[in-house]
Parts: sequence; C-alpha cells; structure tokens
Amino acid sequence: MPGFLVFPTHVALHLLVALLLPPLIPGLIAKTKAAMAGRQGPPVLQLYYDLARLARKEAVFSRTTTWVFLAGPIGALAAGWVASLLIPFGQTPAPVAFQGDVILFAYLFGLARFLTILAALDTGSAFEGMGAAREAAFSALAEPALFLGFAALAKATQSLSLTPMLLSHGAAGGRLTGPLILVLAGWATVYLAENARIPVDDPNTHLELTMIHEVMVLDHSGRPFALVLYGASLKLVVLGALILDLLLPPTGRPWLDWLGFLAGLGALAIAVGLVESAMARFRMTKVPQFLVAGILASAFAFLLLLV
Amino acid sequence: MPTLDVTLILAAAGCWAVAGLLPLAGPRADRGGTFLGVLGSLLGAGAALHALLAPTAPGLSFTFWGAPARIEVDALSAAFLLPLHLVAGLAILYGREYWPLSAPKGSGRSVRVFFASQVAAMTVLFVVRQGLLFLVAWEAMAVSAFFLIQTEHERPEVRRAGWIYLAATHAGTLALTAMVILLAHRTGSLLWNPVTGTGSPLDAWILLLAMVGFGFKMGLFPLHFWLPSAHASSPSHASALLSAVMLKAGVYGLLRVSGLLPTIPRGFGGGLLALGAITAVWGVGNALAQRDYKRLLAYSSVENLGIIAMGIGLGWTGRAIHNPWLVALGFGAALFHVWNHSVFKTLLFFGAGSILHATGTRDMEALGGLGRRMPRTLLLLAPAILAVAALPPFNAFLSEWILYRGLFASLDQGYPWSGGLALVALALTGGLAVVAFARFFGTVFLGNPRTDAAVHAHDPSPTMRTPMAVLAGLCLALGLASPLLLPLLGRAAGGAGLTEPGLLGRGLGHDLRLLTALEALLLTLAALALAWLRRQPAAAERPPTWDCGYAAPTARMQYTGSSFADPWAALLPGRSVRMHRLKGLFPKPHALHIEVQDAVGEGLVVPWFVRMAARAQRLRRLQPGYLSVYVLYVLIALLAAFLWPLLRARLLG
Repeated sequence: MPGFLVFPTHVALHLLVALLLPPLIPGLIAKTKAAMAGRQGPPVLQLYYDLARLARKEAVFSRTTTWVFLAGPIGALAAGWVASLLIPFGQTPAPVAFQGDVILFAYLFGLARFLTILAALDTGSAFEGMGAAREAAFSALAEPALFLGFAALAKATQSLSLTPMLLSHGAAGGRLTGPLILVLAGWATVYLAENARIPVDDPNTHLELTMIHEVMVLDHSGRPFALVLYGASLKLVVLGALILDLLLPPTGRPWLDWLGFLAGLGALAIAVGLVESAMARFRMTKVPQFLVAGILASAFAFLLLLV
Repeated sequence: MPTLDVTLILAAAGCWAVAGLLPLAGPRADRGGTFLGVLGSLLGAGAALHALLAPTAPGLSFTFWGAPARIEVDALSAAFLLPLHLVAGLAILYGREYWPLSAPKGSGRSVRVFFASQVAAMTVLFVVRQGLLFLVAWEAMAVSAFFLIQTEHERPEVRRAGWIYLAATHAGTLALTAMVILLAHRTGSLLWNPVTGTGSPLDAWILLLAMVGFGFKMGLFPLHFWLPSAHASSPSHASALLSAVMLKAGVYGLLRVSGLLPTIPRGFGGGLLALGAITAVWGVGNALAQRDYKRLLAYSSVENLGIIAMGIGLGWTGRAIHNPWLVALGFGAALFHVWNHSVFKTLLFFGAGSILHATGTRDMEALGGLGRRMPRTLLLLAPAILAVAALPPFNAFLSEWILYRGLFASLDQGYPWSGGLALVALALTGGLAVVAFARFFGTVFLGNPRTDAAVHAHDPSPTMRTPMAVLAGLCLALGLASPLLLPLLGRAAGGAGLTEPGLLGRGLGHDLRLLTALEALLLTLAALALAWLRRQPAAAERPPTWDCGYAAPTARMQYTGSSFADPWAALLPGRSVRMHRLKGLFPKPHALHIEVQDAVGEGLVVPWFVRMAARAQRLRRLQPGYLSVYVLYVLIALLAAFLWPLLRARLLG
C-alpha cells in the first residue's frame, strides 16, 4: 500500500499538529492586527483559554431548535479532522493517500458547510437565515475555484491523490510555473472566503447585517460553540497547508521540512493579519466579483494545462 | 425447461398482475393484493440478486406471433430488476395508508390497478430480448404511468400534465419503433442478440434513434419538459416509482441497445456526455427555484438522470477508443448511480408524501418547523437529503466519485474538452444541489411554522414510516459497503459492453476501501463529538432564539426559501419578477411577484407541442363519426391492397 501509514513518527506529528496547533492561528492573526494598530491585543493563546472556558459553561438551546442544530458544529469538526488526514503538511506525505482522495477532500468541506447552513436555518432567526443564504451563495463560488485548481494539478501530475499532486509538481518543470501562480491566486481567494476573513467577511464586525459566517453561529453557546470556534481554526490550518504545499521547496531533511511548514503557517497568519489591517471588507455586491476572479484564475490554469 | 431465475421473474410479474386486479373485489381482497405485490417483489428481488451473483445468464426461448422470442435474466437486467422490486414492494406498503382504497372518486382502486400493471410491465420489459415484445412491454409501462399521473384528473393542471406526458412518451415510442425496425434489419431477426463483426453505418442511426426514444423517457435536455409536472401530479408513492424506476427504463434501453452493437461510432460518447452535463446543470438550476417541493424533487430527478447519462457517455467513449478502463468507470458509475438514485429519491418522495399527508400543501413557503412536529420524518429524511446533495458518507457520493475518476481518466485519452467540461459541470451540479436541498430541508423542517397548516402537522403512522426507515438505512449502507458492490457492478456492466467484468473491482477496490474506512472514521468522530456535547449540562429553560435582542420575532420574519436561493435563482433565464416602484415618503403596501418558468421546457418545447397538436386537429376531419365513412376507408384500403401488386410491376418497371 504505497503512501499509506509510511512513517509512524511523521503520522504522529501530523496528528498532533492537526489536533493541537489550530487555535494558535487566530491568536497570531489577532496579535498581528493589534500590533499594526498600535495596541497590545489579546494573548496569542487566547483561543485556548476561550475553548477551555466554553467547555465548562452551560449550553443554552433555543426552543425552536432540533438535533440539526448540533449537527452543524459536529459535522464541521469531524469533516475537518478527516480532511486534515488527507493533506500533506509541508513536504511530508499525508497519513492517508489514495487515488481520488482529492474529491473526498473537496466534498468534506461541502458536508461541513451544508450542516453549518442547516444548523443556522434551524434557529428560525432572520439574521441567521440571511447568513446562511450568503454562505450558500458565496461558497458555491469558492468551491469551483478550489476544484478547478485541483483539476489543473491533477492534469499536470497525472494523479488524483493530494500527496503526489501537491508534492511532485516540481517534477513537471517550468511548464507548470505559470499555471501554478494562477492556482495559488485562485486558492488565496478560497482561503480568505472559506475562513471568513477580510475582504470577504469581517469576523470582528459588530453589525449582524454585515456578517456572513459569524451571524450563522449567533445562537451557539457552551461546548457546541467551542466546536464551532475550533472547527474554524482547523480550517485555517488545513486550507493553509494547501497553499503552503505549493510554495515550500523540498529540503531533503524531514525536520527542516516540518520547521518550514510551521514557520509557513505562522507567516500565512501574519499575512492574513496584514491584509486585514490594510483594507476593509468589500461591499456585499462586490464579493461575488472577487470570488469569480478566483474562479477565472483557476480555470485559466486548467485551460493552460488542457491544451 | 426454464431455469430458476426465469421462473421466479415470471412468477413475480404474474403476482403483480394479479395483485392489481384483487383490489377491485373490495377491501378484504385489497389486503391480499398488497400481500401478492410484496410476494412478487420478494421473488423478483431474490431472482435479481441471484442473477447478479451467478456467472451465467439463464434464458427461455419461445415463439411469439410466429416470431422467435426470448427472455433472459442477465446481470444487466438484474441490475434494474433489483431497484424495481425494492421500490415497488416498499411503495405498495406505503401506499396502503397514503392512498387508501376508500379514496374519493374510485382513485384508490385505479391507483392500485395501474401501479401493479406498471410494475408487471417493467418486470417483463427488463427481461425480454425481442424487439416486438420490448415495444409491447414499453407501451404497457408508459400507458400505466399515464393513468397513474391522471389519478386526480378532476384538476385541470393534472389533466394537462397527463396529456403532455402522453404526447411525449408516444413521440418517444415512435422513435423506438423505428429503432427496433432498423435493429431487426441490422441483425436479420427481431431477436436481440449481440451483433458480431464490424460496425456498419446503420449503427449510428440506431444509436441516434435510441438516444431520442430513450431520451424522452430519461428526460434528457430538452426532452425533459414533461417530467416536472407529471411527477408533481401523481400520488407520491407512484411518483417514487416513476422517478426511481420508470425513468431508468430509458437508461436500461440505452445500455441494452448499445451493448448489442459491435462498436460505438466516435462522437456519440462525447455527445451524450455533453448532453448529460447540460441536463444535470439545467435540472439542478431549476430545482433550486421551485416552490412546490414535489416539482423540486422532479427537477432533481432530471439532474440525476443527467449524471447517469454522463456515465453512459463516458462508457461509450471508452468503447469507441477501445479503452476498457473508461468503459468500466463510465458504466460502473452510471449503474451505481441508478441504484443510489432509486433509493434516495424513493425516500424523498415518501417523505414528500408524508409532509403532504400531514399538512395538505405542496407549497414550501407555507411550511416550516416541521422538524419539531414530525421528528421521526426529520430523522428518516436527513440521510436522503445528504445523499441527494452527493455528500459523504452517503451513497450518491460514491457513484459520483467513480464518475469523477472516469472523467479525470478521460482527460488523457484524447477527449480533454468534453471530459474537462463535464468535470466542471459535475462539480457545479454538486454545489447547486447543496443550495437546492439546504433550501428544501431548511424551509420545510427547520425554523418556525409559517402557517397553521404546518402548526398541526404530525408524524405518519408506522405503516408509512417503516418503508422509509428501510430506505434510510440503505442510503448509509450502500455508501459504506460500496467496495463489496464493485464486482456486481462490473458484471452488470458486462451486458452493456464491458469486456472484462473484474476490471472495476481490481482497479478501484483498494482506493474505495480506504475511502469507506475514512467515512467510517468520520461517523465515529461525529459520534464521539456528540457524546462529548451530551455530557455537558444544558440549561433547563429553553428561551426563544436570540434574534439580536429583538424580543417579539414572528415566523414571517424568517428567511423564506425563495430568498435563500435568490442569489442563484436570479440567474435562471425563465424567471420573471413583477414589482411596482415605491413612490412617496409613506408608500402604500406593495406586492412582489416572482414566477419561475422552465425557459426551455415550458417556454419553448411545450408551446411547440401545443402548436403541433392544434395543427393535428385538422386531421380530425378524417374521423367524422359516421360508420359509412369508415366502411369507405376499409374499402379503399382493401382496393389499394389488391391493386398494389398488380400496379407495382407496371409503375416500378
């Protein structure tokens, strides 16, 4: 079985990173924004404290909701963890790899999103319905950008498995440089949109009418809300790994690869913080244009490789 | 001497034929009819399962009107008999309470008669191997469906749907008759035996006629126009049969007829692939704009038949370029999706029937909050909703996964454009299906009830719930057990022209086992997370939803289904919005009207049909209603028959 559970230490490291590291990323982003604004800001480990506090608190459920309300956070978390098993972290292969895993990867995000939308609709709130409608509209635009990028890489590397697709693109030579830049541009829009970051969505806004992702989880509290927050940070790591895998060069030394990957995650968080400090959220009507630009970048990469 | 499988299938058809007649004798015989139907389904499903596992195909030869005929239960037939008898057996149980014998205007009896006759006709259809018998069974199936659609014929829109269906199905039969004649010319007999040797120019015409004739039944774009209103009009358990099995008769026909031909001419595979892609995107695009949830389900059937057509197209491409791997992936994906769609669409139509039964309305915007009032229906329908959106770990994701693998494989086989476009179309279809079914589920089951109809809804009785529970279990089981199904799919694809049945299992087995293991892991993680959430104390009091501090929200303030899907529905070509411009500082109340019409189906094809029908009225003058005129016609015909042999030599030289 090629690629399946090859290096036990790497698998253990992979699982540890996927389990424990995610809450650090939002802390880094917040710290960067605070530094740019001249504030001290919350501690980098703030999300860990929040999660511990939420795990102890009592949960409140609205009288409108059913079990579907819990399916959102649970589904997002389970799908995120399974997806994290499929993606290589840096230059080390993923714990599980098989032909066609890239389709499972994309559809797991679809599952998480579908359940989150349903959980929002379950509350019967006008605001959460609005957030769900926006999420459904915008994510249906982010999905093709992700998928077309996969299609381009699959065509270039003759493989449908994430590990060879993301790690062996160097072997394709200079012909791939142009499409690779386009795929990276497309995936950058996906990264910002899927993680509800500026310029698509503002996680720190105070007006519900302008939110997308935050407004969908207004009613969650206690442990379900802890799962929501943790799931969102997990998504930052998993989708961040997608971008880093394309950028990081193979060094030949496993420990250097790991260090590079962790440094890369930090750099990506700081980059997101810089973007958020430098610009404001787009007007709602402008968001689809931004996402379509991402689709076009990925589609053009696919076309370049098809001909 | 007929073998066991053939005997069982004939017995199943016989059971169903009698089961249809018994209810006419009264309520007590009706119970016997249901029993016979279920027995027939058990026999049929058992024989189909046996035939799928058996290495050889048992057959029975006989003569029919002096022509040799044959019935044969091979793996391809069995692959269609299995869902037919599964759906029919569960639907007759469900229908006992859903559409009782005492329904007004005798519709309880007519539904039972034509439901059973349709099942019997389709049982025969899937096993006959002779052109004439095939057409007879095809017509029996189509006409039974017409009467099922016309069940509530006192309503004008139902009558209209029925007539449009009848016109469409007969246009299809016309093409199929021509196809049967050409096929008989090609093979030298009415018997459907595989043609050996090389291809002939006739093959292209046969395939073209098959694509038209079977395309009408499958609802291939733009021949899907009859489908939404027909499926919305019939009783829900009959809609389930129509959608889950009758549409698949077109799929069966395409696979069977193309399997008889020695080669597939180039271009047909790519053409069907593109047509399937258009059908899928068009179907799901219209699905997300419907207010009537049964029409939504019908458009979703159009979408799924499009996906199946993509699989067949891919298989044909593989046959044209002699690549068995593409053939295996294409036909395997198509057949697997046939099974999956039968299971989840039947469940969805049963669920729709339960909602209709409980609330009396087909308008989604009048519902809401049914989840708290019908908790069991909510739980049973959730797997079908996730399956129809092709999300893991449910069954439809697996068949689409095989199709994705096939489409990626075709990129390097000299068909980059059709493969690439189909890939994009399949991804887009998946994304839009998520929107359409999040809308359906969210508007109907979640939130607060929007009208009184939804307030007093209640779960259906166990008679209706049990068939739904079986199907819900199958949605998950087919998803998790897919590696075991690969050999069966490979064998079934053998009848459609796959030369090496074991290829599918060998090529996909390892990947699919890992995939299903990950799906099991997904479920385990979800269960662990649920257990962790359950250990936390919840507040005893359940307050209203936090609506940003607003204390008195009403149900009408919720997001409606229409507004949920509006960003995408606004792109549909057939959507018209009427709104008056608001004037002055204190505008009076105003109304907004949004109408969605299928721009191609209802906008172009149906009007064209109506014009043709109006023109055909002129032919009515030939039928004045006087006996003497008809006798004159007979006389003229006789004379012509006598004179033709005499004049032929002189006229033609």
